[in-house]
Amino acid sequence: MNLPELTQPTRTAHWGWHEHRYFGHRVFQQLTGHETLTGLTVLSVLGRRLPSDACAVVDDIACTVTMADPRIWPLKLTRLVAAYGSALPAAAAGLVSTEDARIGAWAATRSAETLLAFDAALGARSDEPEFVRTVVKAYLAEHRFVWGFGTPFRDRDERLVAFRKCIQHRRRASLHYWSLMNAVSEVVIDLRGAQPNMGIAIAAALLDLGLTTHQVGCLASALMQHMFLAQAVEGAAQGAALRELAPGYVEFVGHAPRSSPRAEKSAEKAALLDAQHE
Amino acid sequence: MSRPELDGPLENGAEFPSRLTARIVTPGERPLVHGYDVEGDLARHYQSSDLLFLMLMGELPSEPVSRAFAVACLFLAPVSVAHASTHAAVVGRLCGAPASGLFGVAAIAAAEHAHSLLDEHQQLFDWLHARQSPLPEHFRARDAADLAAVERLEQALVPTGVAIPALAERPSRDAALLMLLFELGFERREPLEAAIMLARLPSGIAEALAERPTNFGNYPINLPRFEYTESAQ
Repeated sequence: MNLPELTQPTRTAHWGWHEHRYFGHRVFQQLTGHETLTGLTVLSVLGRRLPSDACAVVDDIACTVTMADPRIWPLKLTRLVAAYGSALPAAAAGLVSTEDARIGAWAATRSAETLLAFDAALGARSDEPEFVRTVVKAYLAEHRFVWGFGTPFRDRDERLVAFRKCIQHRRRASLHYWSLMNAVSEVVIDLRGAQPNMGIAIAAALLDLGLTTHQVGCLASALMQHMFLAQAVEGAAQGAALRELAPGYVEFVGHAPRSSPRAEKSAEKAALLDAQHE
Repeated sequence: MSRPELDGPLENGAEFPSRLTARIVTPGERPLVHGYDVEGDLARHYQSSDLLFLMLMGELPSEPVSRAFAVACLFLAPVSVAHASTHAAVVGRLCGAPASGLFGVAAIAAAEHAHSLLDEHQQLFDWLHARQSPLPEHFRARDAADLAAVERLEQALVPTGVAIPALAERPSRDAALLMLLFELGFERREPLEAAIMLARLPSGIAEALAERPTNFGNYPINLPRFEYTESAQ
């Protein structure tokens, strides 16, 4: 049977005889020895390289976002899967749980969408405090939850405090989205008492690097992989301890014991038969 | 490092329960599911599709619903390697992935497959809730094969006693199965997505296990042929 050949364009890569291509670059000639893991990660998500000073911001994000306590929920689930002894399925489980989740890397994508919504509403007037206040107030009236704000269990997000220093050190504090984040935060703090968190800081920094909202989430996920790997590797090595909790650690709050309709019918039938035999 | 330096938000401040909460399956030697004794009751009187229904819906199905849900699961189950979900599992097998890794690939792919099916049919559920207009054209059967499949579904449902009036709208096979599940009580998206994913999962696993690990030479590596381009898309 003659079928038309199925084809699909790709910009990602090609396997050659003596040299490979990756997003338009010769792997051995142009990338090896010239590009870092961060640079390759950026290239994978954006499809283009970023200059080293921009990659340094990405490295700052990866470092300051490192809050890898195994009690933090996405990391805990990684640890639980790792309890069966394999590291990579555990790391993959952590990664699978993050896209579109309420916490974790995808919060940066949602925060980026929020920032873009404010940007669109403010237009060229983001440096007018009264107008910013009016726009943010209107947004808050329509949104009970605002992505990028809220710092559970503490007064402020210590990661953002550290990252802010990095941004200042790299002279990026006056860039558009970082300034917008600050302007919006001021009003949200005042009206809601909610502090900005690392999600909106990542969003602002990556939007200033030219990423789209979807790219923000993908890159943020990549920058958090080390934390999943840490829990996966250590959890797999520790093995069985978490596989099954002793009954005392679990409280059942579900349905009380009951008989199924078919079991009851069967019991009635048996009782009837017994009565007939008697 | 001294202890005070290791203080943090989870050491001081927030209060958390000390025990995990079980809501569906009782922990321990003799498991109950939503209150029913699995080993002493359900295993004697029900089939696995009933247990799946109970797990997802919280109650055992009535007799007609039980039979119709079993039919739905059977119709949902076959997913050939032409579909990306099963195809991915087969490629996992080719890579020589261990069974657990392979099952993980199959489960993720089946979940994504179910998710995208429901995304594509969101408007169908709006229609099912309202039923004030004719079925949108893109949910209707596309060809004779589609119509024949829905006819077979109707025939299979006859003995169950469950009638699906919406099938008179001549839906596609996928739409008909979603109409059936909706009629059986799957109105919430997540249990519905779970039922579809779980019914389909064995296909991916079985097709993958039938492949030989590292059988790369017999895999059509150029299906599709990826055309590498360096120009911006």
